[in-house]
Amino acid sequence: MEIKGGGRLWKILPGCMLLLLVFFFTGLAGRAQAPVHTYSVRDGQEYISLGVNIKKGTLDSFMKQYNLASIGLQQFFRTRRADSLQRLGWRHKRTGDLYIISRPLLSSGNIGNPAGQIILTEKHPTIQERFPAVNNGVLYGYNRFRHKYPFAIKDGVVTFFLKGNTRASHVQLAGSFNDWSTGSLAMSLTDSGWIANVRLSPGKYWYKFIADGEWMVDDDNWLSENDGLGNTNSVFYVTNTLFQLTGFTHAGKAFLSGSFNEWRPDELSMVRTGAGWGLSLYLAEGTHTYRFVVDGEWMADPANPNRLPNEYGEFNSVIRLGKPYVFELAGYTGARKVVLSGSFNNWRNDELFMRKTKSGWTLPYTLGPGNYEYRYLVDGKWVIDPKNPLVISDGNDKDGMKSSYLIIDPNYTFRLKGHSDAKRVILSGDFDNWSSNTLAMKREGNVWVFPVHLSIGKHLYKFIVDGEWITDPDNGLWEQNEKGTDNSVIWVDK
Amino acid sequence: MLLPGRFVSCLSLFLLIAAAGGHSKGMPSSAQDNQPGMFPVRSDPVVAMDTPTCVIPFTRAGNLILIQAKADTSVGNFVLDTGAPGLVLNMTYFRNYPTRYTEGEEGGITGAVAGQIGTMVDQLSMGPVHYYHCEADRINLGHIESIKGVKILGLLGVSLFKRFEMVIDYEKNIITLHLIENKEAASYKGEQLRDTSAYHEFPIDVVDQKIIVHTEMAGKKLLFLVDFGAESNVLDSRLPNKIFENVTITSRVQVAGSGTTKIAAMYGNLKNMKMGNLDLGVMPVLITNLERMCYSYNHCLDGMLGFDFLSMHKIGFNFVKHKMYIWK
Repeated sequence: MEIKGGGRLWKILPGCMLLLLVFFFTGLAGRAQAPVHTYSVRDGQEYISLGVNIKKGTLDSFMKQYNLASIGLQQFFRTRRADSLQRLGWRHKRTGDLYIISRPLLSSGNIGNPAGQIILTEKHPTIQERFPAVNNGVLYGYNRFRHKYPFAIKDGVVTFFLKGNTRASHVQLAGSFNDWSTGSLAMSLTDSGWIANVRLSPGKYWYKFIADGEWMVDDDNWLSENDGLGNTNSVFYVTNTLFQLTGFTHAGKAFLSGSFNEWRPDELSMVRTGAGWGLSLYLAEGTHTYRFVVDGEWMADPANPNRLPNEYGEFNSVIRLGKPYVFELAGYTGARKVVLSGSFNNWRNDELFMRKTKSGWTLPYTLGPGNYEYRYLVDGKWVIDPKNPLVISDGNDKDGMKSSYLIIDPNYTFRLKGHSDAKRVILSGDFDNWSSNTLAMKREGNVWVFPVHLSIGKHLYKFIVDGEWITDPDNGLWEQNEKGTDNSVIWVDK
Repeated sequence: MLLPGRFVSCLSLFLLIAAAGGHSKGMPSSAQDNQPGMFPVRSDPVVAMDTPTCVIPFTRAGNLILIQAKADTSVGNFVLDTGAPGLVLNMTYFRNYPTRYTEGEEGGITGAVAGQIGTMVDQLSMGPVHYYHCEADRINLGHIESIKGVKILGLLGVSLFKRFEMVIDYEKNIITLHLIENKEAASYKGEQLRDTSAYHEFPIDVVDQKIIVHTEMAGKKLLFLVDFGAESNVLDSRLPNKIFENVTITSRVQVAGSGTTKIAAMYGNLKNMKMGNLDLGVMPVLITNLERMCYSYNHCLDGMLGFDFLSMHKIGFNFVKHKMYIWK
């Protein structure tokens, strides 16, 4: 035993000496270096090591680098008191010239449940990164193809065309218009490629071809979009508006710029036509303002008499798609100026000047389907619409004011049967930011009803019956929310 | 047309785990099934295919693989989720199905889904693959579909694929499936696997309906769950310090804890991990406490391989021979 042990000692002695040397040189190096600041994992804990005399700028950079702003390090170094750290569960100790600050990493309760594991490991995509639904918030769009013309559109039918690939035995078309179904739209072989006809209303669509089981983007289409993380699809707009500028045939370049593209001056390049310039665009329903930019010169559309004032004392041309809604404000006949302002025009208060009538003020304004907030600016003072019973007050109202709430083209009516003794029933959901007092339902026979406009996709909602939140008893679809109660679920299809 | 000769009556879960026990050191698999209060012995569905091999195109919601499938009369998106034990249905759309069994909280780490309510689907079809009499867990998947913005009917978990060779090609967005018959169980290799120089081959364990691979790092053997439902790779924060000498922390992050709570976790880049002789390079990892990831008799998982790793190469599995293939 002793011989064995002694042998082991001799074996480890050189290693120990080497270790001592390493410590010695590390110590020297440590003194020569700037104060340490590290963030690591040690003994199952978050482990922060910071020089006692770390400079404020270095500390700020360190916190920014590792997203540590919320743990109170700045206060700790300012006051040298660890109260705030301790309140958040951190321990700290001083070792020589270093503070060691640590906290155990806790276990997520979600592991062991497949849904919990997906949620734990998700990468929190933004709304923009999610695959968007057709026309959902898309204001405008145009097509750009190479080697072939944009797909022909006739009487609302779009002819999708895949050039070449004539050796494939079968080709399918899949896209947002058929829920990416992989077997519902077979393409037909022609002498130059494959075609499929699809009836589509104006808007934005995403598509891909599947040739012999293999997914392919449209190589002849410049427009493609990533769904957030690596999945690329081709994009096609079914257009509904043709912009034309007659003349200016000697100009080098002409662009279209408007409220729909946030007035970017050189994005929408117009194409030469026989008589001048043109561009076919998809525009969402509503009111849009625009101008042309010809060789750097801004101008309103000379062929369009509809104009609105702009901030430069000039005018923008106006195009209206859809039905006009007449905003009316009764009274205030002594006022000098009344301006309409709302979520539909980005709350601008220098654009929509209302016209005075005998009994008040009026302005027709075209809005696409949707839910909007608005107010009137009467001689510099904000007022809500006294005739509109829908008032929203739970939103992000920077002015501390309420806004009127307008629903254009409701596409769904919520119904709650019974509750005949209830005095007040409110509809509340993600479509009105869960406001608890805006959408008061009306009694029709034995049913409380309220029509709203719902965008495409999933919506959550509840009813509030005399102050009590309830799910929709007639809707079998509901899910638990983060508060442990339930929300009813509705999906709006295209 | 269904090919009668290709009907395969699957073995019970009892037998699956008994077979898997051979790959998991020291695990008394048969005893595990009989633990009171853990999970009931379930029968596997009958599987049939219209053709022996098929290609199923998939779409993606973020990093999740969506397969169009039909559960009885409901058609829609199902997520390929090897972090799930078997078929899991979204309670929202299958609430009215009769309840066949319920699971307690403790069931979660043993293969069944914690807190779920079981039911039965008469027929589940994805393309030409059909399952009959398929037992399913039901849970709330509402949060995931709200985040992803797509309707999700359910999850397709490990037990549905255990008679298959499966090759997943993220680049082409297709999954190739071959139902392995008993007579070809020992020898079958699909067309894509003929050129053995094109891929690496690794053994896997299939235990408690989890796919587990063995890796090695800093002289320590590590067990990783292969989870197509995980967007990030995950590393257990409780591993020895020498493991974390190979991890560069990049950021602190808040992740979902229990209920509405958030807990701290960290993102980092891990290096020097090997699977067999293959150096896995630099891998982004989410570092969190995985104490609830333990399963059968103190076996614990050290991490998870998710989309960040799995999507880098074409990847295949033979769940009969317990092999994983990673293309070069």
